[in-house]
Amino acid sequence: MLPAEPMEQHLARLRRAIAQTSEALGDEPCSRALGVPDIDAALGGGLACAALHDLSAAPMHLGAAAGFALTLAARAPEKAKQALWIATDFGSQETGALYGPGLDLIGLDSSRLLVARVARPVDALFAMEEALKCRALSTVIAEINNEVDLTATRRLSLAARAGGALGVLLRHMPSGSPSAARTRWDVAAAPSVPDELGGLGRTAFRLSLVRNRRGPCGTWTLTWDHHERVFSALSVGVAAEAPDRPDQALSA
Amino acid sequence: MRLTAVNDAAAALGLKGGMALADARAMYPQIAVADADEHADFALLEAIADWCDRYTPLAGLDPPDGLMLDVTGCAHLFGGEAALADDLVRRLKAQGYQARVAVADTVGCAWGAARFFSSLPPPERGRSTHEVRRVGVMPHDQTPTRLAPLADLPLSGGGDHWLVRSGNEREVLAPLPLAALRLAPETIAALSQLGLKRIADVLERPRAPLAARFGAAFVRRLDQALGREDEPIAPRLPVPAAIAEQRFADPIALERDVLGTIEKLAEKLGALMERRGEGARLVQAALFRTDGKVLRIEVGTSEPLRDPSRIRHLFADRLGVIGDEFDPGFGFDMLRLAALVTERHEPAQTGLAAPDHAVELAHLIDRLGARFGLRRVTRMVPQDTHIPEFAVMAVGAAAVGDSAFSAHSRVSGPPPFIPPPLAGEGRVGAGSPLSRGRAELNQDSAAPTRPIRLFARPEPVEALAEVPDGPPVQFTWRRMRHVVARAEGPERIAMEWWRDEENRALTRDYFRVESREGVRVWLYREGLVRSREPTRWFLHGVFA
Repeated sequence: MLPAEPMEQHLARLRRAIAQTSEALGDEPCSRALGVPDIDAALGGGLACAALHDLSAAPMHLGAAAGFALTLAARAPEKAKQALWIATDFGSQETGALYGPGLDLIGLDSSRLLVARVARPVDALFAMEEALKCRALSTVIAEINNEVDLTATRRLSLAARAGGALGVLLRHMPSGSPSAARTRWDVAAAPSVPDELGGLGRTAFRLSLVRNRRGPCGTWTLTWDHHERVFSALSVGVAAEAPDRPDQALSA
Repeated sequence: MRLTAVNDAAAALGLKGGMALADARAMYPQIAVADADEHADFALLEAIADWCDRYTPLAGLDPPDGLMLDVTGCAHLFGGEAALADDLVRRLKAQGYQARVAVADTVGCAWGAARFFSSLPPPERGRSTHEVRRVGVMPHDQTPTRLAPLADLPLSGGGDHWLVRSGNEREVLAPLPLAALRLAPETIAALSQLGLKRIADVLERPRAPLAARFGAAFVRRLDQALGREDEPIAPRLPVPAAIAEQRFADPIALERDVLGTIEKLAEKLGALMERRGEGARLVQAALFRTDGKVLRIEVGTSEPLRDPSRIRHLFADRLGVIGDEFDPGFGFDMLRLAALVTERHEPAQTGLAAPDHAVELAHLIDRLGARFGLRRVTRMVPQDTHIPEFAVMAVGAAAVGDSAFSAHSRVSGPPPFIPPPLAGEGRVGAGSPLSRGRAELNQDSAAPTRPIRLFARPEPVEALAEVPDGPPVQFTWRRMRHVVARAEGPERIAMEWWRDEENRALTRDYFRVESREGVRVWLYREGLVRSREPTRWFLHGVFA
C-alpha cells in the first residue's frame, strides 16, 4: 500500500493540474486590447471577446466606423481564425461594398475575410447569431441600417458568449434604444497628422466610448498604423467619470 | 381543324383522332370540343414522369403521350415486374389516368406491346406507358386497332398491362401491324402498298433490299425492337450518384417528421458514400406527395459532406426559407434523399483537444448558404487588372479554397471565368496578383492608397478645383459640402484601350482627399481636361 499523501498536498496538486488544463483549453475570458493604455484601462484590459459591441456613426463617418471595425478584426490574435462581414444589399449600395485591395492596405488580409450579403436586416441578425456561435471565427461584423431591439442584442450577446468571437454591430444610426452590448462607441473620422510632405497621414479615428458596462467612458483620438497593426493615441483623451456608476468607475 | 383526341364516350360514337371537326359536328352536332394545348399536355406528361421517379430514377419522356422507364434491378422492390406494372396502372388510375403498360427487354417491343395489345375494348382516350425491363408505359390515342393476343404468344398479363417474356420479342411482335415499329407514316404507307402490313411480313425478308428501299432508319427500328441494337433511355433528370429512400404506409406531413426521415436517410446515404470514399456536394430531397406532386429541395455544400446531422440542419434551414411553398397537402408517402454531386472525401484524423476550425467554418458557410444562397457567402479574390472596380471579384466561399472549381459551378452559378486558385488556407504565393498588387499600391504615402469601400456605381459630386487639372478644394457629396484640407494625387488610371469604343479618352484622375472633418474619400475627374467641356467629378470610394 502506498503511503497516504497528506490531503492538502493532494488537493493542491489537483488544483494545479486543473488550472493547467483549463489554460491549455483557452477558456480564460479573453479580451482584444487596442494597445492604447488609457483605453485598455477603461475597458479592463481591452474589448471583451465573446461579447457584443455596438458601433455607430453619423452618415458621413460611416467609412471611418467600418474602418475601425475592420481594424479590430485585423488585431485578432488568433491567426487560424477568420473574420466575417455581414451586410445587407441596401447597406452595400448606400455605403459601398467592401473593397479587397483597400482592406489589405489597412492591414486586414482580405483572403481571410468572408462576406455574407443578405436581403433584409432581420437576415443579417440571423446570420450574425449563427456566425457568433461558430468557433472558427475571430470577429463577426454586421452592418445594420435599422433599429435593433434589446431582445435581438441579447440573443447576439448570448451567441457571442457561446462561440467566443468578438461581435461588432455597426449601426448606421446612433440608436437610442437599450442594448445588451458590452460597450457602445460613437466613431468618427479625425483629421490625420500630415506627413512631412503635407500629404495624408495615417488613418485617424475619434472614438467616443459612450457606454461601458465595466468601467468609465471617454473620448480618444487614435491613429492606426497599418504596417504594424497597432493603434497609438494622437491626443491624451480625458477619461470622464461615469456619473451613474461611480463604484465601477473607481474599481476600474 | 381536326380532332386530336377523343374520350371514351366519343370513341363509342365512332369518332376518331384525326377526323375533321366539321365531319364530327355533322355526325353529332352536340359534341363538346376544347382546344388542344400541347404545352399543357407536355407539362402533364412531365409531371407524371416526375411521379414515376418512385419506381426508377431512369425515367424518360416519349412525347406526346408515352413514358419510358428503365426498371432493370428495380422490379424486385415492388415484388416483381407484374406487381410493379399492376401497381403503376392502379395508382395512375386512382389519379384519373388511363394507362397501358408493357414490360419487355427492348424499348421497341415494349412500345409496340403497350400500344397494340388489348383484351379490352380499345379505349380511345387515356395515357399509356411502356415499360422496358426495361419497361414501357404508353399513353393514348394512336387509335390503332388493338389486338387480342393469341393464347400461344409468350406473353402474360392482360387488360392494360403486358409482360413480354425475355428473349421472345420476335414472336410477340410478329402479329402486330408495322405501326408498332415506331415508323414514319410514309414508310408504313409505302410498305403497305407492297402488301407488307404486319411485322411478320418483314421479319423474314432479306435486310439489304429493305434497307436500300426504305432507309436505314427502318432497319434500325426493327433491330431495336428485336434487341439486335441497343437503345438507351435518355433519363429526364440526372441520375444521382447515391440514393436512399423511405416509403411510408401512412403519409407524413409534419416538418419534424420529414427532417427526422431525412436524417435517417442521410445515415444510409453516408454509409453508401463512405464505402466509396466520397462525400456529397449537392444533396436533393424528393418528397413524393400522395396526390402525385413531387417536391424537390436541393442544398449545396462547401465541402464533401456525409454527416447526417449536418445534412439535417441544412435542410432545416432550407425549409425555413421555402416557407409556404413547402406544402405537404395530404402528406408524403415517399421520401428520397439523393447525392446528386459527389466528390472524393478521405476520412481525416481529427485532433482530440483542438476543435477543427476548418470543419466548423465549412458548416457555417453551408448553413448560411442554405438560407441565403451559396452565391451570397463570398470571398474576395484579387484579379490581375489595374481597373479599380475589376481588381477584385466576389467568388462563392464554397468554391474558393478548393482546387476543383468546375464541379461547383452548378451550385454557385458559373463564374465569369476561373479565378486564380488559392491554397486551402487562402495564403497567397509570391507570384500571385494579390502580392503584386500590394507592392504596386504601396506608394510613399503614410495613408492607404485604396479605399476600404467602393461604390459599384461612382457617385457624381460637384467639385471645385483651383487649377483645371489640380486637386479639388471643395466638393459636395450627398448635399453635404466638404472643404478639402489635404489631397494627394492625381493618380491617372486609364481604361484598357479595347473598352474605348467611341474613341474618347477614358482616363480617370484619382485624388485621395481628406476633408476638414477628417472624412477621407477617393475622388476622380473623368476624362482629360478640355476647356470647352465641363469637368465631371465622381466619388468612387471611402477610406477608413
